[in-house]
Amino acid sequence: MSERADVQIRGAGIGLRSQHQQEIIDRQPSVPWFEVLSENYYGAGGTALAKLEKVRNLYPITLHGVGMSLGSTDPLNFEYLARLKSLADRFEPEWVSDHLAWISVGGEYVHDLLPLPCTQEALDHVVARIDQVQDFLGRRILIENPSTYLSYTDAEMPEWEFFREVAELSDCDILFDVNNAYVNASNHGFAATSYLDALPLARVREIHLAGFAQLDSYLFDTHGDRIHPPVWELYQLTIQRTGPVPTLIEWDTNIPDLGVLVAEAEKAQAQLDAVSCSA
Amino acid sequence: MQRLNQLQHRLREAIMAADADGTAVRVASKTVNATRGLSSPEHLRIYRRAVTGTFKRALGQLYPVTMRLLGQQFFDGMVCRYMRITPSLSPDLADYGSSFAEFIEGFEPAAGLPYLPDVARLEWAWHRAFSAADETALNIDALSEVPESDRARLLFALPASASLLASQYPVQRIWQVNQEDWSGSEEVNLDEGAARLIIWRRGYDMRIDPLHDSEWSLLSALTQNMPMRKLSQSFPDMATLLPHCVEHGWIAGFKLGESTD
Repeated sequence: MSERADVQIRGAGIGLRSQHQQEIIDRQPSVPWFEVLSENYYGAGGTALAKLEKVRNLYPITLHGVGMSLGSTDPLNFEYLARLKSLADRFEPEWVSDHLAWISVGGEYVHDLLPLPCTQEALDHVVARIDQVQDFLGRRILIENPSTYLSYTDAEMPEWEFFREVAELSDCDILFDVNNAYVNASNHGFAATSYLDALPLARVREIHLAGFAQLDSYLFDTHGDRIHPPVWELYQLTIQRTGPVPTLIEWDTNIPDLGVLVAEAEKAQAQLDAVSCSA
Repeated sequence: MQRLNQLQHRLREAIMAADADGTAVRVASKTVNATRGLSSPEHLRIYRRAVTGTFKRALGQLYPVTMRLLGQQFFDGMVCRYMRITPSLSPDLADYGSSFAEFIEGFEPAAGLPYLPDVARLEWAWHRAFSAADETALNIDALSEVPESDRARLLFALPASASLLASQYPVQRIWQVNQEDWSGSEEVNLDEGAARLIIWRRGYDMRIDPLHDSEWSLLSALTQNMPMRKLSQSFPDMATLLPHCVEHGWIAGFKLGESTD
C-alpha cells in the first residue's frame, strides 16, 4: 500500500511539549512533524500560543485532543468545539483527532478517558455524535482507540469490532494507538492482533506509540517511558498491513530531553523506511 | 440512550465518591467485569486513582506556592476534598480551580496559615494573566482625539490579563521567596504590611506590581465601570493620576459610555 498523495505529513513525528518548544524553535531538529495537544492552547493569548506559532512556521502539525467527550450522553459541548475550530483555522493542522471515549456526564468532567460499553446502543450514539462533530468542524476527524482498565458486563461485541464499526459507520478516520491495543489485550486477555485483523486499513492515517508501566496486576498507559519491545513488534505487524502510516511518539509524564524523543522517533522511522522499501 | 446514560452517571459517581467502598462503588461494580487479577471494585479503583492524580497534578501546577507552603502531602489531601465538592464544568482543565482560595479559607486544617487564601488568589490571577488575550499598550495621545464634549462619558478598561488583589499580608513577598529560582532569605515578617497588587502581563512579560493608595483606588474604580465624569469628582488629581497609570500599562483601553446622567 502506498502513502496517500494528499498527505503533507510523513514519517515519525513527536508530541510537542511546552518544555521543548524553545529548543525546537532555536535548534530546529530534524523531525518531520509535531502533534499538538489542543487543550494546551485554549487560552486567548500569551507565550504558549506565540511559541506554537513559531513552531508551526517551521513544521507541519496535527491537533490531538481529549475534550470532545464523544461517547458522553450529554449534549455536545459546542463552545469547546468552536474553540477547537478556531484553533484549527489559525494553525491549519493536517488533521484533528480525539478518542473513542467519554470524559463527562451531567455537565461534569472527570478529565480521564472512560470506556464506552461495546453495545449497539453506544455504537448508534457515538456514530451520531461523530457525524455532528465532523459537520461542525467541516472536516473528517481521526478517532483513537483508548487504553482501558475495565470492561462492562453488558458488552455485545468485542472492542476491536466496536472500534471498526464506529469508524465505518461514521466514516471517520483512525488514529491507531498500538500501545493502547497492547495494554488492553494484556489487561482484558485477548490477542492484540485481533485489533489488526479488524482494522479498516485504509482509514488508518496515524499511529501512536508510547510507553506503559507494569503495575501490580495490570498495565497502565503512562506515556512516561520508552516504547516497550512487544509494542515495537506489534507496530511492525501493523505497518506491514497499513503501509508507512505517519507515526507519533507520545510522552506525557516524566518528560525527558528532546533528544530521547528524537531517538525514539528515529527508531520508528527506521521501521517505516523498511516497510516503504518492501512495498 | 437511557441505559448508556445511567451507566455513565453510575460510573462517574463511583469515580468521584469520597468513599472507595461506599454505595456508589458497589452499584457501579455490578456493571463491571472482574478479571483474573482484579475484582470489579479494583477495576474502578484504577480510574479513581487516575482521576484523583489528574486533579492533584493540575492544581499542583496551578498553585505551586500554595503547595510548597503546605507540603505536597497536605496539599494533595486538600485537593481530594476540594474536587469532591467542586465538579469541573469545562473540558479544559485550565479552567478548573478558580474557587480554590475560597475553599482554603473555609478549610479548618489550613487555618494556621491565614495568608494562604490570598497566596492562592495571587496564583490564580497569575494563571489567568499567563494565557489572557494579547494586547498592545494604550497610547495616551489617543485620548486627546476624543472631543471635549464626550470626555465625561469615557470609560477605561484594565488589561484583559489584569487582576487586582488586596491582602492584609505581604503576599507578594511570600510568593517571591517561594519561587524555585529565589536565592535570598526565605524569611517573611507577616507584620511587614498589607499588599495591594495588580497581577498582569505586559507583552509576554508577567508582572506583579505593588500599587500606592491612589493608584489602587483609581484602578478599583475603573473595574466598577466608573465614567470620567465621576472619576474627576472622586479623584482631584486625575490630570496626573490617569496618565501615570496609562504609562505603567495598567490601563489598556477606553470607550464611550452612555450619555445619560
